[in-house]
Amino acid sequence: MPLSIYAQMTVSGALIGLIYALIAYGFQLTYATSKSINFGQGELVMVSAFFSLTLVDLGLPYALVVPLGLLFGALLGLAVERAGVRLALEQKSEGWILLTIIIGLFLFSAAENIWGRDDRPFPTPIPSDAFQVLGVDVTPLEVSVAVGVFAVMGLIELLKRGTLLGKAFEAVANDRDAGELMGISATRTVMLSYGLSGAVAALAGILVSPITTVGPTMASALVLKAFSVAVVAGLDSGFGVVLVGMFLGALESLASFQLGSGWREVPGLLLLILALAVRPTGLFGKAVIRKV
Amino acid sequence: MLKRLLLVRGAETALFAVLAALPLAAHSPYAMGLLTLLAIYGILLIGLDVTVGYLGQVNLAQVAFLGIGAYAAGVGVTRYGLGLVAALVIAPLLAMALGALLALPALRLEGPQFALATLSFTALTTTVLNELEWLTGGAQGLSLDRPPLLGHRLGPAGFYWLCLALLLLVWMAMRNLLSSQWGRAFEALRDSPIATDAMGVGTYRHKVAAFAFGSGLGGLAGALYAFNFQYLQPQTYVYELTVILLLGVVLGGRKSLWGAVVGAVLVALLPNLLSSRTLFLGFSMAGFLVAAATAARGLARRTARPFQALAPVVATGVLVVGGLLVHATEDWRKAIFALMLFSVVVGLPEGLMGFASRFLSRALRIAPPPLPAPSPLDQVLPPRAAGREVLLELRELKRHFGGVRAVDGVDLSVRAGEIHGLIGPNGSGKSTLVNVVSGLYTPTGGAVSLRGAPLPAGSLFRTARAGVARTFQNLQLFVGMTALENVMVALRDVYRVPLPLVLLGLGRAEERRAQADALALLEFVGLGAEARTPAKDLTYGAQRFLEIARALARKPEVLILDEPAAGLAHPDVVKQVEIIRRVSQRGVTIVLIEHHMDVVSQLCDVVTALDGGRIIAEGRPDEVKRHPKVIEAYLGAAAESQAGAAG
Repeated sequence: MPLSIYAQMTVSGALIGLIYALIAYGFQLTYATSKSINFGQGELVMVSAFFSLTLVDLGLPYALVVPLGLLFGALLGLAVERAGVRLALEQKSEGWILLTIIIGLFLFSAAENIWGRDDRPFPTPIPSDAFQVLGVDVTPLEVSVAVGVFAVMGLIELLKRGTLLGKAFEAVANDRDAGELMGISATRTVMLSYGLSGAVAALAGILVSPITTVGPTMASALVLKAFSVAVVAGLDSGFGVVLVGMFLGALESLASFQLGSGWREVPGLLLLILALAVRPTGLFGKAVIRKV
Repeated sequence: MLKRLLLVRGAETALFAVLAALPLAAHSPYAMGLLTLLAIYGILLIGLDVTVGYLGQVNLAQVAFLGIGAYAAGVGVTRYGLGLVAALVIAPLLAMALGALLALPALRLEGPQFALATLSFTALTTTVLNELEWLTGGAQGLSLDRPPLLGHRLGPAGFYWLCLALLLLVWMAMRNLLSSQWGRAFEALRDSPIATDAMGVGTYRHKVAAFAFGSGLGGLAGALYAFNFQYLQPQTYVYELTVILLLGVVLGGRKSLWGAVVGAVLVALLPNLLSSRTLFLGFSMAGFLVAAATAARGLARRTARPFQALAPVVATGVLVVGGLLVHATEDWRKAIFALMLFSVVVGLPEGLMGFASRFLSRALRIAPPPLPAPSPLDQVLPPRAAGREVLLELRELKRHFGGVRAVDGVDLSVRAGEIHGLIGPNGSGKSTLVNVVSGLYTPTGGAVSLRGAPLPAGSLFRTARAGVARTFQNLQLFVGMTALENVMVALRDVYRVPLPLVLLGLGRAEERRAQADALALLEFVGLGAEARTPAKDLTYGAQRFLEIARALARKPEVLILDEPAAGLAHPDVVKQVEIIRRVSQRGVTIVLIEHHMDVVSQLCDVVTALDGGRIIAEGRPDEVKRHPKVIEAYLGAAAESQAGAAG
């Protein structure tokens, strides 16, 4: 009996871990083109979830809520790029760290005041009655998370590999200046990556809300773990985040089962600090050769 | 000199005199509370400025150290019966130790990863404070009584004076630290971590020390915080306060003690600002007008980008409009902080004090203190007896990058006192070779030894300490510092006063000595008159000479010059050859990588030619130049006969 509880914990934890992986993937997208990430990504997740909830409350069908939510997230991502990132990148400074934190704080406060401080349920047509796979209970909601995460990551990777736009993306990621010299607008590529990253954040919000409820603080813990995943896996590692995300989710679920729910976050944070000590570029990251 | 002393020290004295006298004039509990908080935040922000300002890293963990200090003091007093003084000693020590522990892994990272690591640490701290209920009382909080100071019960004014006295001590210690070798090292490692290591200063250890020091100040502030409020809750030390603290440092002005205190005033006043709507409206209106005026000026003179000028106007405009529309300003607290911080970061990145000090130094024209007379050259660069024995030896040295064999089994002996040339076409492995020897790259195979003892592999810092100095093909100067300071950073055997004494201000004599030594080296390369010029404003040629002066400050046995004449105009090439020759006359062994064949022929005793990561020829310059393999490497096989005829 206990063994099957552990199996259950591992599986449902790993499925939640996919949400961390998805948010971490959003960091990778922007890091690839601009070596910057949005420190307010959690607020993008949260505000997009609230926006989608409003659409649901207005009576829009789920099939329409999802694309509109993604679009909203993409627009937010673009706004973050314009207001918080572009100037700092032009000045080759790290001011974007502070600015994206600030924008996140603003969005947080706005959400608190517009939608209230309480957690609200997110209705979804996907049923939550569990079915059994190999003796482990799985809900269709959890399956929808997995499907959504793999679908969108796969799609974006296909785009990056198969289209000219994707090649431009890779080119700017490799060398911004050389890309510009070849006639690729680096600014537009960075905008594209922030837009995609915003859409990915919105998807994470829509996927996770039915499980966690929607509230201003819903994403603060999520994003912290996504940070851990991104750094542990390496900010340029592609699918490494999926492995690390699932591992961390499972670890966490086991830790909260064993130590009490208050300690839930601790393994992730320790893992992060340890991973930094052992491999600063991440488990799947590439070592950088310093040139002089 | 007197003017400088009066203005700078006078202003500091006036600040603290006024702060100390204030309780005599305003002794309402409200005013005392504000003043006490100001002194505490002052200490906290000076600590935060160490990482944010001097190391240039976004540190989101200062609030965690505030919490650690507060709880160390709180728990120590309530559970272990510590006295006030003991708590004020233990809290910063604990914070410093934990700071060092965090810094060891975290400071191997830069930029976003560092910010993420510190953010995680803050989250971890809050969780632990919340969950260790048996120790901290958890979410219930922890009440404590302020213990007496050496038998005296401190009233509000007494406690304020204690906080102020500690702020003064921290201020003076910080000033002494920053004007010492340590302060220069912080500055240097932000400009070029590679060169800092290559000058034997040790980037990593300085960063860790700086971070631990700043964290210790956070812990001290935390203990005072605990004794001030006498009630602690884990929720106090969270993300929001982190952002407010950053606002304080950035708005006050980074890299400035004054800035930290100005920022502390702001952080202490902020909650009060929001409690009164009229005050808030007035303040935001003032901010809007300032932003609009700055924007108009910046746009008219074309000194600011449109975004940089207009974004603060929009942000402060939103503040004003929002203030008119919204009645519950307290509910929008975070958004208001965000808008204020946004306007400052975009519109006034150097902060209030950065702006003010630029303005004041222009208005008052404060002359820097005069320099001492240069030291005798024999003291700075003692002549070495060169016996032509083998000094630097490379055995089967290899460095591969994936499948590329950049250096592929090189055996090389450099004799003491010689100038050993290293030539070869682009991509032949010269730069990789010296990068391996100087410790930037770890060799894939083989060994390097100096006087028969193996050189540390893969550490610029330890190789530099072992007596190998180098310059860089792409200049790696500390661009923000003056020529003199660039050399002072690298000086060897001068800084002997231990850190605690430096903090007490006992390192001044050493500073004079360092200036004199550095000046002697600048004169040696002909830059004596440029001592006060910032390195970034020197001409290109002067920058190359400065790199040599800086490397000589290491008193090196072996000096590696990586293309010292690259990009120089002819008169500067002549000067450079002259400098290198004089360095060699002092008995310093030189490894010279160079493309200018005439430079190589004029200077070198021995030349080694590389191609494809292997040695193809070695001998006297004229021999190597005529060696068929060398001609083939440079010009290709077909051109051999013409080149031979031309040569």
